[in-house]
Amino acid sequence: MNILELRNLHVTVMNKPILNGVDLSLKAGELHALMGPNGSGKSTLANVLAGRPECRVTAGQMLYRERDLWPISPEERAREGIFLGFQNPVEIPGVSNLRLLKEAYNAQRRHHRQPELDAVAFRAHLRDRTAQLGLPEEWLLRPVNAGFSGGEKKRNELLQLMLLEPRLAILDEIDSGLDIDALTLVAEGINALRSTERSMLLITHYPRLLDQVPPDRVHVLMGGRVMLSGGMELARKLEQQGYGWLEEMVT
Amino acid sequence: MNAFLEGCQKQFSEQSAHLPGWNALPIRNSRQEAMQRGAQIGLPTPQLETWKYTPTRTLAQSRPRFHTEGCVGLDLEDLEPLLLDRREGHRLVFINGLLSRSLSRWQDLPAGVRVDSMANLARQAPSLLEPCLDRFLTGNDQGFAEINHALWLDGAFVQISPGVCLSKPLQLLFVTTAFQEPIVTLPWNLVLAGNDTQAMVIESYASLGRSSHFTNAYTTLMLNAGARLEHLLMLTETTAAQHVGTVQAIQQARSHLDSRIFSVGGALTRQDVQIMLAGEGSRCLQEGVFLAGGRQHMDFHTWLHHLRSDTRSEQLFKGILDGQAHGVFNGVVRVPQGVKQIRASQKTANLLLSDTAEIDAKPQLEIHSDAVQCNHGASVGTLDPDALFYLHSRGLDLETARRVLVHGFAAELLQRVQPAAVREWVAQRLNLEGSAP
Repeated sequence: MNILELRNLHVTVMNKPILNGVDLSLKAGELHALMGPNGSGKSTLANVLAGRPECRVTAGQMLYRERDLWPISPEERAREGIFLGFQNPVEIPGVSNLRLLKEAYNAQRRHHRQPELDAVAFRAHLRDRTAQLGLPEEWLLRPVNAGFSGGEKKRNELLQLMLLEPRLAILDEIDSGLDIDALTLVAEGINALRSTERSMLLITHYPRLLDQVPPDRVHVLMGGRVMLSGGMELARKLEQQGYGWLEEMVT
Repeated sequence: MNAFLEGCQKQFSEQSAHLPGWNALPIRNSRQEAMQRGAQIGLPTPQLETWKYTPTRTLAQSRPRFHTEGCVGLDLEDLEPLLLDRREGHRLVFINGLLSRSLSRWQDLPAGVRVDSMANLARQAPSLLEPCLDRFLTGNDQGFAEINHALWLDGAFVQISPGVCLSKPLQLLFVTTAFQEPIVTLPWNLVLAGNDTQAMVIESYASLGRSSHFTNAYTTLMLNAGARLEHLLMLTETTAAQHVGTVQAIQQARSHLDSRIFSVGGALTRQDVQIMLAGEGSRCLQEGVFLAGGRQHMDFHTWLHHLRSDTRSEQLFKGILDGQAHGVFNGVVRVPQGVKQIRASQKTANLLLSDTAEIDAKPQLEIHSDAVQCNHGASVGTLDPDALFYLHSRGLDLETARRVLVHGFAAELLQRVQPAAVREWVAQRLNLEGSAP
């Protein structure tokens, strides 16, 4: 079964067309990479899947596990297993990571009619995950992303991902702003989460992440459409030659 | 003249002989003078600059009902959530304005701390009150305060002898119960913090039942040299109640005052804070957060007077408004000519949760000296849509997401409350649990 299927998806942001007919499908357990020059619509694609209200679907379809996503609220999408790792996660002063994680986790549990975890059980449940990411215990008491470096914010996104265990994870430039060590840590985290149950869409500019997290498929988004799809060799070619040759191919 | 003031005068002329301290001449004089001034200036109206936004009309038109009997049969279970520490906490509990000895608990206070009911003290040791009687605020906007000075029936008296440190917070709890007709309570509280003392006093107002009542409170805080006092004011009366109050603090040399206000109660809440930094080296921190919804009106006016050189004040006040609520913050920092080495910082930030909520936030710096480091800022905003979307994308519905963000906004002020037990209790009383881990 396709976890995600996009058919001729057209999306506008503030009446400006950004996606102009995206076709893409992702099977259970697959990890795909989405590449493309700046402004090609990668983040819009991530946002429309998560349900950002500014993104309007004007034509086409987006199906998540064969269900039309468009009428479903962002919070329900999240509880149904869609996770967006933000390129620039917001800072929320005064709200601790622990609070956010607990609210998110229990919202999901309630949705699936499972009992909520109490504070103690939840902390224990979290401990393994923070350890895996090399995060100190006090990390949980820090306000969400407030004053975090770029790398810390990305690790925080990954922590949420590890806790929520989504079926579909869309990671928007999870590798940007990371040094080599942090990148390895993030790559290990992503690899640990790969399973036959989970699909991932990795939006990236650089193949260096893909070297550590080998994708099943690489897509190139240009002008709001998937121009080309291939394997890892496509990512390498883009690294060496940029996107110019593709533009020529299009015109 | 309006019904309220008339009623107060009638009460005064008929009942004065029963007012605490009537037999002590200075107290009697103080009461009489206050009643005269009150009758002269009347209750404040929006014509006064400092009462411009406060809708006192309905209050002024109502006939006051004074409650002079002892307390009704309540026990501690009834008060449970209102008590900071039911088992071991020190507290004075006032029911309908009068001290309840059975609900209070102060037997094991450290030596050198004297607490009592003001009514009792005015009868037995009036000389202790006398030095404070001529320190009351005056002015044509003090109508409600004058009525309190004329007619107060009870309140908390706290005296801390020099050098004494109160290790546990002392709670002053004022509870008004439901009556057929709304009653008026007029507490006067007096805290005398001796030289080099340390204490935390939590003054909290609450209602049992949902019926309307009017509290007109006045609290005097005297900080002698080197005293450190934390004063926490909790306004949690029902949204049918009216509350007008003044906290007046007079600080001597090197004293430190932390004044904190947390407010969620009242159909109408009007709280004034007047802090006189009257001794060199004195410092004050003034903070507040209020949450208003429905048709609540919450109104906070603070004055920080830097009367001596080398004094510092720091202020942060936050408002959170929903529904058709109206909030007012007016913060005056006053630095007269001739004083030096002054540092003052004032900030107010406000969060509007609906299109129909309103805030009038006015920082007001009156600086007549050059030797001043002063900064101020005022902001009004709404919930950040990016933050809302972020929380939605983590599965939180709108109501939860809003609550989380509101808590985050208030957390800055809540987190500074120490110890943790007090912080948690405050959060719970404000319905802000979880905002300060």
